[in-house]
Amino acid sequence: MKKKEDALDTDGLTRRSFLSKLGATGIAATAAPLLAGVVDAQVETSPSPAKPTGAHVVPVTLRVNGQEHRLQLEPRVTLLDALRENLHLFGTKKGCDHGQCGACTVHVNGRRVNSCLSFAIMHEGDEVTTIEGLSNGEELHPVQAAFLEHDGFQCGYCTSGQMMSAAALLKEPCGEDDDSVRECMSGNICRCGAYPNIVAAVQQARKRA
Amino acid sequence: MQTFHYKKSTNVEGAVASGGPHASFIAGGTTLVDLMKLNVMRPAMLVDINALPLDKIERTPDGGLRIGAMVRNSDLAHDATVEKEFPVLSQALLSGASPQLRNMATTGGNLLQRTRCYYFRDTAYACNKRAPGSGCAAMDGYNRIHAILGTSEHCIATHPSDMAVAMMALEAVVHIRGAKGERAVPLNEFYRLPGNTPQIENVLEPGDLITHVTIPALPEGARSHYLKRRDRASYEFALASAAVITQVQGRNLQHVRVALGGVGTMPWRSKEAEQALDGKPANEESFREAAEVALRGAKPLHDNAFKVELAKRTLVRALKVATQAA
Amino acid sequence: MSSSPIGQPVTRIDGKLKVTGRATYAVEHAIPNFVYGVAVSSTIGSGRIKTISTAEAEKMPGVLAILHHGNIEKLYHPAGALEETSRPGESRPPFEDDIIYYYGQYVALVVAETFEQAQDAAAHVRVEYAAKKPIVRLDDAEQPPKIERHEKDDNGFDEADITYTRGTADDAYEQAEVKLDATYVTPIETHNPMEMHGTVAVWNGNKITLYESTQGVVNHRNVATQVLGLPAESVEVISPFIGSGFGSKLFPWPHSWMAAIAARKVKRPVKVSVPRQLMFTCVGHRPTCEQHIRLGASKDGKLTAFMNDVRQSRSFIDEYTEDCVDPTSMLYSCPNVAAVQWPMKMNTGNPTPMRGPGRVPALFGIESAMDEMAEKLGIDPVQFRLLNYAEKDESDGKAWSSKHLRDAYQEGAKRFGWEQRNPKVGSMRKGEEILGWGMATMTWPAHQRDAEVRVRFLADGTVRASCATQDIGTGTYTVFAEVVADKTGIPVQKIDVKLGDSALPPGPTSGGSSATTTVIPAIVQATEKAMAAVVKAAAKTPGSPFEKADLKTLKFSQGRVHRANDEASSGIPFEQILQKAKLAGLDGHAKTNTTEDQKKYSTHSFGAHFCEVSYDPEIVRLRVTRWLAVVDGGRMINLKTARNQIQGAVTMGIGMGLLEETVYDTRTGHPINNNYADYLVSVNTDVPPVEVVFLDYPDKIMNEYGARGIGEIGLSGCASAIASAAYHATGVRVRELPIRMEKLMKG
Repeated sequence: MKKKEDALDTDGLTRRSFLSKLGATGIAATAAPLLAGVVDAQVETSPSPAKPTGAHVVPVTLRVNGQEHRLQLEPRVTLLDALRENLHLFGTKKGCDHGQCGACTVHVNGRRVNSCLSFAIMHEGDEVTTIEGLSNGEELHPVQAAFLEHDGFQCGYCTSGQMMSAAALLKEPCGEDDDSVRECMSGNICRCGAYPNIVAAVQQARKRA
Repeated sequence: MQTFHYKKSTNVEGAVASGGPHASFIAGGTTLVDLMKLNVMRPAMLVDINALPLDKIERTPDGGLRIGAMVRNSDLAHDATVEKEFPVLSQALLSGASPQLRNMATTGGNLLQRTRCYYFRDTAYACNKRAPGSGCAAMDGYNRIHAILGTSEHCIATHPSDMAVAMMALEAVVHIRGAKGERAVPLNEFYRLPGNTPQIENVLEPGDLITHVTIPALPEGARSHYLKRRDRASYEFALASAAVITQVQGRNLQHVRVALGGVGTMPWRSKEAEQALDGKPANEESFREAAEVALRGAKPLHDNAFKVELAKRTLVRALKVATQAA
Repeated sequence: MSSSPIGQPVTRIDGKLKVTGRATYAVEHAIPNFVYGVAVSSTIGSGRIKTISTAEAEKMPGVLAILHHGNIEKLYHPAGALEETSRPGESRPPFEDDIIYYYGQYVALVVAETFEQAQDAAAHVRVEYAAKKPIVRLDDAEQPPKIERHEKDDNGFDEADITYTRGTADDAYEQAEVKLDATYVTPIETHNPMEMHGTVAVWNGNKITLYESTQGVVNHRNVATQVLGLPAESVEVISPFIGSGFGSKLFPWPHSWMAAIAARKVKRPVKVSVPRQLMFTCVGHRPTCEQHIRLGASKDGKLTAFMNDVRQSRSFIDEYTEDCVDPTSMLYSCPNVAAVQWPMKMNTGNPTPMRGPGRVPALFGIESAMDEMAEKLGIDPVQFRLLNYAEKDESDGKAWSSKHLRDAYQEGAKRFGWEQRNPKVGSMRKGEEILGWGMATMTWPAHQRDAEVRVRFLADGTVRASCATQDIGTGTYTVFAEVVADKTGIPVQKIDVKLGDSALPPGPTSGGSSATTTVIPAIVQATEKAMAAVVKAAAKTPGSPFEKADLKTLKFSQGRVHRANDEASSGIPFEQILQKAKLAGLDGHAKTNTTEDQKKYSTHSFGAHFCEVSYDPEIVRLRVTRWLAVVDGGRMINLKTARNQIQGAVTMGIGMGLLEETVYDTRTGHPINNNYADYLVSVNTDVPPVEVVFLDYPDKIMNEYGARGIGEIGLSGCASAIASAAYHATGVRVRELPIRMEKLMKG
């Protein structure tokens, strides 16, 4: 078990080398030859070093809040980062980047999803709705109005995700009681702890929607 | 995250043809994208299978279900037949992750969820699963969440899926399409114990695609239940869980199926517990005895010894609930 | 006539921006041409960097620069405690040398055109270390040789008293009729605000603008001027919205300077976002705290000795202690008290105040010990506290400015139905489950610090109030609007509040529950001065109906200037006076600080938590099922946001009691659960209905409204209330948080 000794710390000074945050498996995979002769190519990408930034970008068309956006993106750009960094729709938040908090919740074809765990390129042809598209112009969606009235937030950072979850919940099979709402809203962490107000807001929105 | 090639497939044949050792299929993405961000998984190509027509839940001629690999966890959980006839599956699904993640995660993908072991997820550590032969940092590390059943000296990582635990009890069969054609593998034979090769988690060959899962009909009057224990009340992986199915004939149990989650290196079917319960009266004594049998081989570590007793109690309670239900 | 909004449930004035996703947080500012900085962090907990190899990463697409200790430009140390106006989160500038003090410490920054490119390149920076075994447990840390007495700072979250004695505690304890000797441990906790820390650094010549997520734009500016070696007027810090902080954003952290120097190097704005995993190492945490408590009491329930020997973690970089001694010395009446606090150096990043620093960990120990002692004495826990009620602050002999804790206990007990409590362990049931009831005291000091506020009446009929403080989610924007509205009679909706920019009149850091108390007098005075200016204009402006009127006969109310003897409705709206006078607007400006009166009193908030847990012993499931918090926090300015603060604190308290703990791998010093899936905080399902009662006794020593601030107090006592309830249900006394199932199974 020499390797184990190597990778872990022991008493005193040891001479060790780390590929910072990159495992031994990584390099092999990077160096592996790509597959040839791919068929069934509805969408296919390959590195295009022609781009001035040197990025391996491909054209991606995203339909967000009813509007079509033609973007040049690397396939590794997540839906969340595309919304924020490319479309500047900053209403959708990054809280963990790993599907562990719900701040990035958006609707894809009417269903709530974590936009951080999906690549933008996977959503060509999908209808993406963000908080910016939830309300009808200046008129607030019932969920937004209820969150405002019930103070369903403090810092406001998880709020877009909470409301996108709440808006989706209106159409989901969620029980009527508060406990059911709590469970259906448990994929959205609020570190400020506005949960009691969030439950009240969701219940009000359900009555009014 | 490294760059990769991306390709979208619209039919199963094309997808399978695109698969291979350096490609990954991407469905919901809830495991893969997470691990790609951590540089733990580094596919050179992603084959997007979200457009494959594998999203149906259908009745099989024998009264069971055929569940397409692309059926989302939320759709499967709320399917009327599943809710009515296979509540253990619905309960397991709804106890996992969050509503958003369940909208993304698929039936096929969930079976292939990767472990939540901290050391697997961090490339600065030795991990035989991620980097074969590098060692297991979890063994002497913080191992509260780790497995007590099916472990080896090379790996103690748990399989994190709730759904797979229920499917294990339901005796699901995994249907696979690969370069050599189609095959069906009972879920009980699908997963591999870590042994000396923890990097091999199941019987899939490179390029194999799960197309659907079938579950047989349960016998008339069978009852089932899934119980999950964890620290917080929701949105957390199991520390211990139990999926049970049984018929109560008179006072006695038959057709008992038991699977445990959160404690095994794979979704843990306990045939020993099933045998211990078969024909026994439905009472606490039988349940407790079965629980003892189920955990007999447990190998607790520094931080997870409590899981032995927790898993027993979880199983006992699941059996009580299942047999109490009208 | 419009009624005053003070004390009403007022909807936040910034609420609409937040519910529409239009509130702009730090890294969301629209800065053209910016690039991304992604940090490389240490994978050892202690030691040295031997080599950093950037060759491979530098060749990767889009990479513009890689900064590390071998190529960094000069940065200065912040003055910190040498002066009063600035305090860093970590005094060591980034990449200062090759020494590694903690796991996750920044060792390089990769700047690239896109986020993905920077991230990928950061993963290809190779660092070779010489590692030493890190210290990440109190038991492995060295006890300091002697206790140094520190100056007591009245900021509420600064340096603590390290020792306190009154009477002869050792003797009293030895002679006590009933004794308790127990040790209580609170683990390292991580703030984990939802918005991760981040900076966009934009140079314009020699001036820099930092778009930040900070709880103190002024302090951040002051530290930036020192670290970057710039005059104050060359630095502007902008932070209009903050995705909360809970203390982690009180003081600036190295990523801010990394962004600044990277931006100077690549000559483009640079955005640096701290990823969630580094939120566990690079932006502070609550130190672990081990309290060895000894209580002595007479058989009839009077405390005779109160001793607390505290060991608390700090880093190897900066001095940090938080005050567990003060609550030991002031919470109860006891003639003999001895408390001492030992800071213990560990290989973690710097601890920093986390909601209720000092008092929150201290009260887990103190209040748990009180519950244990009450049981030993056979006295009801509420009664035991009433028997030892402190009628004055016995730590310094001062009178309380306003204390109604007795009411809080009694009102709480009544509302909760406490008299129904059967003290026998496991005796109360609801269906199959066992109920446990617990209670605890809460406390937090009230402070007023320095603030300047400008209030401006504008000719368009609006009023603008501005101050370089910020709203971290507590509702500060709305507090400003309410106070101005109260004074002017102008509706809250017409008040424009500008905060979160260091260029505004200097305001307080949002911490220590003191922002509201600090700004109120300045808002009041500035508003009154601005109103006086408008009245003066009314009397001076030719053609005004009040031209040449004696100022004493004029009054400003309901947004109008009118004759004091007449109704407001007879007067002239202020905007018409401004228009008539051809003025764009009229200002009032005020600067306020602590009053002499406040120094004469001990100013504290108090309260009592009552909670119910439900325990399913067979499957070891403990849940919090009911909560009542009775708060004696002075007058609430905004009932809606105030209730939310307390409910939020209880939510965090449930996490503290049952879930939260940063766990370190002792081999590497790595916080192994450094993400939101493994570091558990309460989710919606964990939180039962939380009833909040405000006693509403205005504390006029603090300010004219009697407000005292409530950001922290709700968290104090929560964990011990839960631990006591858990004991009542299970018979297991958990003295080391969090109360996990394995601890209950051991009992």
